[in-house]
Amino acid sequence: MALLELDAITKRFGGLVANHEVTFQVDRGEIVGLIGPNGAGKTTLFNCISGFFPPTSGTVRFDGTDVTGWPAERLVHQGMVRTFQVVRTFPDLTVRENVMIGAFARTNSASTARKIADEMLEFTGLAPRADVLGANLPIAQKKRVELARALATGPQLLMLDEVMAGLTPAERVQAVELIRAIRARGITVLLVEHVMEVVMPISDRVIVLDSGRKIAEGPPQAIVENPEVIAAYLGEKYRPRREETGEG
Amino acid sequence: MTTATARPIRAIPRSWIALGVLALALLALPLVLRSDSRLNIAILVLVYAALAQAWNILGGFAGQISLGNAAFFGIGAYTSTVLLSRWEVTPWLGMLAGALVAAIFAVIIGYPVFRLGGHYFAIATIALAEIVYTIFNDWEWVGGATGMLIPFARDIETGRPTNSLYYLQFNLGKAPYFYIALALVVLVTVVTVIVDRSKLGYYLRAIKNDQDAARALGVHVLRYKLIAIAISAAFSAVIGTFYAQYLLYIDPETTMRLELSVLIALVAILGGVGTVAGPLVGAAVLIPAAELTRQQLGGSGNAIDLILYGALIVLISIFQPNGLMGLVQRLRHRGGPRPTATPTEQQATAREEAPMLGGYEEERG
Repeated sequence: MALLELDAITKRFGGLVANHEVTFQVDRGEIVGLIGPNGAGKTTLFNCISGFFPPTSGTVRFDGTDVTGWPAERLVHQGMVRTFQVVRTFPDLTVRENVMIGAFARTNSASTARKIADEMLEFTGLAPRADVLGANLPIAQKKRVELARALATGPQLLMLDEVMAGLTPAERVQAVELIRAIRARGITVLLVEHVMEVVMPISDRVIVLDSGRKIAEGPPQAIVENPEVIAAYLGEKYRPRREETGEG
Repeated sequence: MTTATARPIRAIPRSWIALGVLALALLALPLVLRSDSRLNIAILVLVYAALAQAWNILGGFAGQISLGNAAFFGIGAYTSTVLLSRWEVTPWLGMLAGALVAAIFAVIIGYPVFRLGGHYFAIATIALAEIVYTIFNDWEWVGGATGMLIPFARDIETGRPTNSLYYLQFNLGKAPYFYIALALVVLVTVVTVIVDRSKLGYYLRAIKNDQDAARALGVHVLRYKLIAIAISAAFSAVIGTFYAQYLLYIDPETTMRLELSVLIALVAILGGVGTVAGPLVGAAVLIPAAELTRQQLGGSGNAIDLILYGALIVLISIFQPNGLMGLVQRLRHRGGPRPTATPTEQQATAREEAPMLGGYEEERG
């Protein structure tokens, strides 16, 4: 069952084609990784899907509904939520209040929102930090706050834009565990990542973008062995060595 | 919240006691002040406190700095005055009508103007308020530049000035005006407290912090800004009606001039934006000071108060961006046995590493 379907999404900025006819789908319960080198158009595609700007052409279907061009705030109520590559924690709000903003997507009552927020803080391990101001958190915790408040909206699809960037290896391990636990709650995850070793072990499927086009799609193992991906993403110098070990 | 409910009943929070004492002091104030000129300053303090509180809902919570709130104030004053002088409608109803007109006007101008970010919004509000001022200045039906006199309430038999609740006029002494102004301050403050604790308040603060992040969490930014400006405008208009009835004469100069808009914002900024007590504290400090300097300098130094306002804004933004409330908090924490302020970044990182590394493991295990 497809939860998210992209059909020939193109996004142009003047003469620059950031995404060219990108087509793929994400099934319910999957963890899908979206990777590609710098400037491949990952974040642009993310913005097109999540309603931060409309695609130039193509359609986005979510949960069976055509949501092309819907603004972000409307998509949240449909069950699609995103985080930002550069964390955007509300600095003047406490961690709990940050998460309550997400929870208010589901309720009008402040006490219910507080309850949902506390549950999310527990789930993400932020409970001891509940009363700290957003501005006073280290980066790893800010990323957790982003996750917690996105989860508080009660999404079906969670879209994560480079959650691992800027984390230490130990923090990454925790983040990977957290993403697995999120999926275990029945939430579908689409993650844009730059760090290859993070995407590969947790993704059921990986989609590779290069220069705005989809160049490959498949299970992680097939992707790491795909010569085109290796050339585009990891660089030409990996091609011969990979081919040697792979085929020899 | 939980600590408050767990506390034994006999321990009434100290802030409640302070609030009770303050309420009693305010109720007794007209008896103490006696002279009309001193009572006049007290009433002005209340008027500005209420105006700044109304401004605070948009400017403080949502971070949309308006320098045109005098337009809403003026619309309130004019709406009730026109209704009263032409159709004998009681200012109490006129007050509600003014609030409605101002709220609708606010939503109509807010729709396009909220697309502008930051300083451009503030500049646009100045321009719009000036347009409203100019329209009223040239509009003969509402008196143009000469303004409008509010019909004087007189005793039918003797023809002497009298008090009339229907006409919202008290010509035998200013004390009733004081109590009505006080009630308005309480009303706007209660609304502010309700907003502060509701979804609306949380959303407005999120919008002030980061609009895109708020959108990504499902906040319809424009809708909530419009709600905030409508509430702000409605209460500004209510106070406008009161002020018209207090002065018994209005013109564009007294109800809509730019200095008024600036002073409203300044009162809130001086006191501390985004806090419930800030605008009240700001008015209590700034308005008596402004009135006294104006009396001292007289007509000769017409622009000197404006220079002082400008200097104050510069000083506050450099040294005390959180206003007097920020100062109060800082002093309180310095004197207290243990700082309850949020930990600094270093403290936060140092303290969190250990528990957080295991934090998630516990959750799973």
